[in-house]
Amino acid sequence: MNERIGVFLCNCGGGMKNIDFDTLGAKLGHVPGVTFVEPMSNLCLAEGRDRMISRIGEDNPDRVVVAGCSPEFQERLFRRALHEAGLNGQLLSMANIREQCSWVHDGDVTAKAVELVKMAVNRVRLLQPLEKEELPVRREVLVVGGGFSAIGAALELSRIGLPVTVVTREVSLDGSGEPQEDFHGCDINAMRSAVETDPGISVLTSARVVATRGEVGDFTVAITREGDETCGRYGAIVLATGYETGTCLAPGLNSRAENEPIGEASIVSQEQLSQMLRSPITVSRPGTIAFVFDFCDENSRFPTLATLSNALAAREKWESEVYVLCKDVKVDSEGAEHLYREARECGVVFLKCEDVPRITRANGRVTIEARDVYLGEETAVSCDLLVAEELRSPAGGTQTLSSLLGVRLDSRGFYQDENVHLYPVSSEKKGVFTIGECRGDLDVGRVLTDISSVVMSVCQLVSPGKIEAELERVHADPQKCVACLTCVRVCPHGAIRLSRVENGKEIAVISDLACDACGVCAAICPAKAIQFEGYRDDQILAQIEAIGEA
Amino acid sequence: MIIAERKPMEEIEQSLEAYKKVLVAGCGTCVTVCWAGGEREVGILASQLRLGRGAGGGEIVTLEATVERQCEREMVAEISDKVAEVDAVLSLACGSGVQTMAEMFEDKPVLPAVNTTFIGMPEKEGLWVEMCGACGDCFLDRTGGVCPMVRCAKGLLNGPCGGTRKGGMCEIDPEKDCAWVLVYRRLDKQGRLDLMRQYLVPKNYRAVKRPGRIQAAKA
Amino acid sequence: MNGRIIAFCCEHSAYPAADLAGRLRLSYSGDVRIIRVPCAGQVDVIHMLKALEKGAGAVLVVGCEDGACHHITGNTRAEERVRHCHTLLDEARIAGDRVAMYNISPNAPHRFVRVADEMVKTMEQTREAR
Repeated sequence: MNERIGVFLCNCGGGMKNIDFDTLGAKLGHVPGVTFVEPMSNLCLAEGRDRMISRIGEDNPDRVVVAGCSPEFQERLFRRALHEAGLNGQLLSMANIREQCSWVHDGDVTAKAVELVKMAVNRVRLLQPLEKEELPVRREVLVVGGGFSAIGAALELSRIGLPVTVVTREVSLDGSGEPQEDFHGCDINAMRSAVETDPGISVLTSARVVATRGEVGDFTVAITREGDETCGRYGAIVLATGYETGTCLAPGLNSRAENEPIGEASIVSQEQLSQMLRSPITVSRPGTIAFVFDFCDENSRFPTLATLSNALAAREKWESEVYVLCKDVKVDSEGAEHLYREARECGVVFLKCEDVPRITRANGRVTIEARDVYLGEETAVSCDLLVAEELRSPAGGTQTLSSLLGVRLDSRGFYQDENVHLYPVSSEKKGVFTIGECRGDLDVGRVLTDISSVVMSVCQLVSPGKIEAELERVHADPQKCVACLTCVRVCPHGAIRLSRVENGKEIAVISDLACDACGVCAAICPAKAIQFEGYRDDQILAQIEAIGEA
Repeated sequence: MIIAERKPMEEIEQSLEAYKKVLVAGCGTCVTVCWAGGEREVGILASQLRLGRGAGGGEIVTLEATVERQCEREMVAEISDKVAEVDAVLSLACGSGVQTMAEMFEDKPVLPAVNTTFIGMPEKEGLWVEMCGACGDCFLDRTGGVCPMVRCAKGLLNGPCGGTRKGGMCEIDPEKDCAWVLVYRRLDKQGRLDLMRQYLVPKNYRAVKRPGRIQAAKA
Repeated sequence: MNGRIIAFCCEHSAYPAADLAGRLRLSYSGDVRIIRVPCAGQVDVIHMLKALEKGAGAVLVVGCEDGACHHITGNTRAEERVRHCHTLLDEARIAGDRVAMYNISPNAPHRFVRVADEMVKTMEQTREAR
C-alpha cells in the first residue's frame, strides 16, 4: 500500500466537547498509510480551507479524509478544495463525527470517533479518481400538449431565450374550456396569440410524437403531421398533455342529455352550467340546482373549485335554491376556503354524505337520495337541474407517450412524479418533465407553480449549452458483462442500454448524463460487472472492516 | 439458454460435510444470466456457508472464483492453482460445467450446487420459462413457433386435451398457458391454421442417441 | 465487533434524518455505525451477509418511505433483498431478525432514534436467545 493519506480533524470551533481530539489524533497517526493528522478549528471557513490547501501542498498526500460535520453540508466544498490543491476531487472521504457521534451520545465518544475516522480512512484508500467532462447539450425544448400548461410553459421558456417547439394532436392550440372564470389573472386568449406570433416558438398542430431516441441533452423525436414525418433534436422534453373529462353518475342513468331544453329537468356537466351562467340570453332559471361531486373520484381539486364558484354564481345570478352533495369539501387550493365560506353565507346548502347518492329521474324532476352524515338519516333533494360529478382521466395518448419516452405512470394513469415532494415536475427519466393536469389532481395555482418550476429546471439543464458530467462513475466492465439485460430492465432512469464496444462484443453501457447514481444496477448485476465508484463492494466492505477496531 | 436453480441448502451442506477448504466456483455464462451461479451468487453462497458452519460451531475456508464458461477446458485451466489449494470444489455451473471441471481435476471431488433444469428464456425480470426440450427433431415450423412438447404439460403433439380452462390456461396448472391455445393463436395470426390439420407422428425420442455427439463440418 | 449495529443509510432519507437527530441533540445507542449509501437499493445481500460475518450484532437498511424513493423503486428492491437475506440466513440456521429494513422520511429524526432503539432491543433479545 503506497497511499499517502492526509487526515484533517475539524472540531467545528469547539462544538464537540465530548471528543478528546488529542487522543483521536494520536490514534490515527498510527494507522498505516496516514501521512499526517492536522487538527483544525473551522475547516469550512476561508482560513480553514486555505490552510487545508497549503498543508496538502506541503505534505503531498494523494488522498484526504476530513473528520467533522456531516458530508451533507460541505462535501462539495472540500472536493473543490482538493481540486484547487491539485488532487482529484473524488479522492475524499468524510467521517461524520459531529451529527452522528458527538451530538447524539452522552459521555466520552472518542472511541466511536476513532472508529468512524478509520472507516473513512479504509474507504479513501480504495477510491479512484473520476474525470469530468463538459458534454454538449442542445438548447431546443420540445413541449408536448396544447392546453394552458403547454402554452404557459412555451411562453416562459421562449422568454428566457430557448428555442421551443410545441406539438399538439389537436387542430389548434386550446386554452379555454375550463369552467372557472378566474385564471389567476391569466388571459388565455392573449397567451395563445403570443405563442402563435412568437418567432422563437414553432407550433405543430394535428401532430403526434411517434418515436424517440437518445437521452437528456440530445433527444431525437420523430413527429408525424398529416402523413409527413419530421425529426427534431431537443435537449429537454416537457409533457403538458392535460386530461379528459367524463361524467360519473349512478349506473343505468343516462348521462347529460345535451338537447333537452333547460326548462325541463336535465342533467348537465359543469362546463354546460358555466356556459349557461355566462350566457347573456335570459333563460328560464332553474328553481333548484343540485351539485354532486367527490364521490367517484376523491382527487377533486378542480371539481371543487368549479362547484363552489358555479354554486355561488347560480345563487347570485338566478337566486336558485342550490344544494351541494359531497363526501368532503377539500379547500386546499388557494382561494377555495374563501369561496366555500362565501357560498355558505350566500345560502348554498352543503350536505355531507358518505355513500354515492342514488339518482332517479321522473316527471321532469331529478331526485337525489343519500344518507346525510350529520343528520344521521336519509335525505332527498328534488331539483330541476343536476350538475353531474366530473371525472378527470389522463388524456388519450398518455399511455403511448409513456412507453415511447420510458416515463412511468402512477396507479391512476397520470405521469408519475420522480419525487412527489422534492422533484414534482421531473419524471424518472432525466430531461423529461411533466407539468399540469397530466400529473394528476391540480388546480390553476398549482399549474402555474408547475410552469415556473419546469422553466427553472429546464433552464438550469439546457441553457448553458453544456453539462459537466462525471465520466464512468457507474461503469460496466466489458470483460465481465454477459449482456443479460438485467441492469437495462432494472434501471429506474432508463440510463442503460446494450451497445457494441471496440471488440465487437455487446455489453451494457451506462450513460454518464442520464445516470442518476442510485446503484441499483450495481447491486443486482449477477456477474458483478457493474461497480459504482465510491460505493464499490470493496469500498463498502472496507468500512465494515474498520468497525470494532478502536 | 440453460436455466438452473440453486439446490436446497441442506443438500449442498451435506455434500460438503467432510470438507474443510472449498472452492466455490461460478460460471460467467448461462447461470450468470439466470441468476443462479454467477459471481454474485458465488459470493452469497460462500458467505452463507461460512455463516452456517460457524453457527454450527465448525469452520469452513472458502475460496471464490468465476470463469467465463465452465464447460471450456482452457477457461477452467485458469483456476487450477485455486483448485490445488482446496479439498473439494463446489460448482455453480450447469451439469456440463460441473463435469468439465471434474474431468480437469480428477483427484478433487467436484460437487454440484445447482440443478440444471431446462432450456428457456426470461418471460420478464427474474422469471424464466421453459422453451425447448432438446429433442433433436425440431418441428416448430408446424406449430407456429410454439413447442407443445415442453410447453404443454402433457406433451401432446396433436391438439389440446380438451380440458383447457377459461382464458386459455392449462388444465393441470392454471398459472400456465395452454400451449395449444398459443399454437392456435399464432397460426391464426399467420393465416396458417391448415397446419393444425396435419397429423404429427409420435416423436422419435431416439433422434438424439445418448450421449449426444455432433461433429461440425471442418471450417 | 460484537454488539455493533451497522446501518446502511440512504443519502436522501435516513442519512439526513440521522443528521437531524444530531442537530436536535436526540440520543441513541453508541453502538450504531452508519454507512452512507446513495440509495437503499444499492445495498446488496452480500453487504448484509459480510457485515454479519464480520461480527455485527445487527444490520439495518434504512431507505425512503413507500412511494417517495428518489429513484422510484430503490426502497422496494431493498425490502425484497432484506427478505431474501432472511431466507438465506434461515438456510444457514441464523436468526433473520438481526437484519431489518425500515422506511423513513428525511425530516423524521425521532423515528430514526426509535428505529435505532428497536434494533438494539432486537439485537439483545437475539443474543440472549442464542
